[in-house]
Amino acid sequence: MGNCFSDVKGGQQAVGSGAQLVVGGAVGDGSATAGTCHNDAVDYFFRAKGEVALFTPIELSLSASKLCDRDYISKSDPMAVVYMKRRDGKLEELGRTEVIMNNLDPTWIQKINVTYHFEIVQTLVFRVYDVDTEYHTIPVKMLKLENQDFLGEASCVVSEIVTKRDRSLTLNLRSRDGHSSRSLGTLTVRAEETVASRNALEITFRCSDLVNKDLFSKSDPFLRISRAVETGGSIPICKTEVVNNNLNPTWKPLCLTMQQFVSKENPLVIECFDFNSSGNHLMIGKLQKSVAELENLYQSRAGAKIMAPSSGFRHHEKVLNSELFVERFVEKQLYSFLDYISSGFELSFMVAVDFTASNGNPRSPDSLHYIDPLGRLNAYQQAIMEVGEVIQFYDSDRRFPAWGFGGRAHNGSVSHCFNLNGSLPEVEGVEGIMTAYTSALHNVTLAGPTLFGQVIKKAADIAGHSLSCHQAKYYILLIITDGVVSDLQETINSVVRASDLPLSILIVGVGGADFKSMEVLDADNGRRLESSTGRIATRDIVQFVPMREVHGGQISVVQALLEELPSQFLTYVRSRDMKPLNVL
Amino acid sequence: MEKPSSKEIEVTVISGEGLLLSRRPVKKNVSVTVKTDPFNSRSTGVDPEGGSYPAWNEKLVMELPLHAHFITVEAHAGSRLIGVANIPVSDFSGGYLPENYLSFLSYRLRDSNGEKNGIINLSVKVKGSGNMGYAGSSRPWMGVPTADAKVSDGIVTGIPVSYRY
Repeated sequence: MGNCFSDVKGGQQAVGSGAQLVVGGAVGDGSATAGTCHNDAVDYFFRAKGEVALFTPIELSLSASKLCDRDYISKSDPMAVVYMKRRDGKLEELGRTEVIMNNLDPTWIQKINVTYHFEIVQTLVFRVYDVDTEYHTIPVKMLKLENQDFLGEASCVVSEIVTKRDRSLTLNLRSRDGHSSRSLGTLTVRAEETVASRNALEITFRCSDLVNKDLFSKSDPFLRISRAVETGGSIPICKTEVVNNNLNPTWKPLCLTMQQFVSKENPLVIECFDFNSSGNHLMIGKLQKSVAELENLYQSRAGAKIMAPSSGFRHHEKVLNSELFVERFVEKQLYSFLDYISSGFELSFMVAVDFTASNGNPRSPDSLHYIDPLGRLNAYQQAIMEVGEVIQFYDSDRRFPAWGFGGRAHNGSVSHCFNLNGSLPEVEGVEGIMTAYTSALHNVTLAGPTLFGQVIKKAADIAGHSLSCHQAKYYILLIITDGVVSDLQETINSVVRASDLPLSILIVGVGGADFKSMEVLDADNGRRLESSTGRIATRDIVQFVPMREVHGGQISVVQALLEELPSQFLTYVRSRDMKPLNVL
Repeated sequence: MEKPSSKEIEVTVISGEGLLLSRRPVKKNVSVTVKTDPFNSRSTGVDPEGGSYPAWNEKLVMELPLHAHFITVEAHAGSRLIGVANIPVSDFSGGYLPENYLSFLSYRLRDSNGEKNGIINLSVKVKGSGNMGYAGSSRPWMGVPTADAKVSDGIVTGIPVSYRY
């Protein structure tokens, strides 16, 4: 490193530490190294991975009450079967409970595992059967359901369960055809997040007697931690910061989550590199340890030998004098997204719709605002419906602000933030948004230009006002637009001001316009936003997705937009040490 | 009782990004001075190793005059000025921001020629008078201040991630 005079500090920061969601595909080890100092091979690994959406394993516990008695000489012997409804409407069986004999109010012991995805509406279907006595000796997996007596059916959405204070939901059982007025009893489903999904480790590593790789100074070491996979490769999890000029470094603590290393017994590959500004970092040494073995190292205060990188000519790895120590090993629980949501934190939905003339006359079939008499939804309606139907479950009162921008009202002036519902600022439910939107199309003339600044400021005012009212709310503004903003700098200014508030902004682009300026706002693809006064965005709160890119694929607009929301929410609450409302 | 002419603020200077001196990255010994008026200032210690990406995570408690419109943040390498940022008071106080709200803020520094020069990350909290009303609050944000731990002892979550440009 002594030969280099350019700025390389950006590449020396720790990466992945504290990241809860970094679970990605394997990447090749052969990273291209350009001549520029800013090309950091290790950073490239992490950027190429991308972040995977939050997923949370939860366990469902089932119980029922007042079941219908189907046996003449004894009570029913109930069993419950749980299905997930797929997008095509088909039911996929997730699991079955055991059979409980002679009981009309069973509490089943067997848990059903479901993976919770925030960005998807996950519909569960529960069916309860009376298992005939003659089948009691057969394992439940082998039972043919058509041979059993059907007792009742119920369905709900996973997010309906997890948003309840006690994470429990009671549903009325109904008959298969839904005609019977007779009470078939109730089913109660309770959701528990598995403990492992919240577990995190804080580990401090130290090395001694590292091999010097620099000609005129000491090495600048950093560690990279990867999870070994069965196919022989490894998936990078995180890396430490670079410690300059030091052969006995102690790095800052790393935070690893259970989702990153999956199991305490899984082998982790720990590699030590000498940082090189060219991006071609020299490997100093490596070793392989599981998390459990690291814990043993910590408790015994022992060091682990670091192996030299194997050369092509030797068939065994050379043992170095260098050693790795675990200075600190702390297990802790992070509050999860579901912890906050089930304790009473809410996600509040807001919508802003583009009413500029570039959409075309709403009466014309080729207009982006065309209301099809056959009921087919236009792009605006699709975006509202698909985002709203997910987020509505996280808002208890379901009263949503709904705005339009770029339209001319009856008084003749163009408004860049008008209520879709006329005088009322809020509408009721997603259906209310749809109705207000259709109504506004008849009452507003399309005009222009396209300005985002005012609706973003309005949303920020609402989010900020919730702070002074001390409400546990996080706001989500959906902007649906067909064109390029005319007030890009004003939009950036308002986003920067909003970035320290409990607010996220989702932008959906409809139609065929060039959305390059939208990519600027979406910091996934660009730099941190900077306002005209020099204030920098505190965090990334904008997501942009063009509608056309996803229609052909399997992933909907909703998934692409919404999957980062839990991370943005957690970034906001954790940075302020906010705890779930039921934690004292 | 006489009305107070100032309020207390806690400024935690977190880190800097991409600091330059004569267009070259700063090598060491960066410190930050925060001024609430020409006669009241506090400074961090130096970060001897951080180079152009220094980290302090140091809390400065200061008096902010009620009439002040902005506070000034200066970054120095030794005795040489790296850059200055003026922070409007409205960015962390007043409007809808309640007292005791922890604001995380980042600003572009400008050098003595007015050229752009890196970013400073900090957090600001205006101390409350202690008799705050919680009208209409049934589900308050149960926030507590970020722990005053040393950098090496804890993990600071949610600090803005460095971007390179």
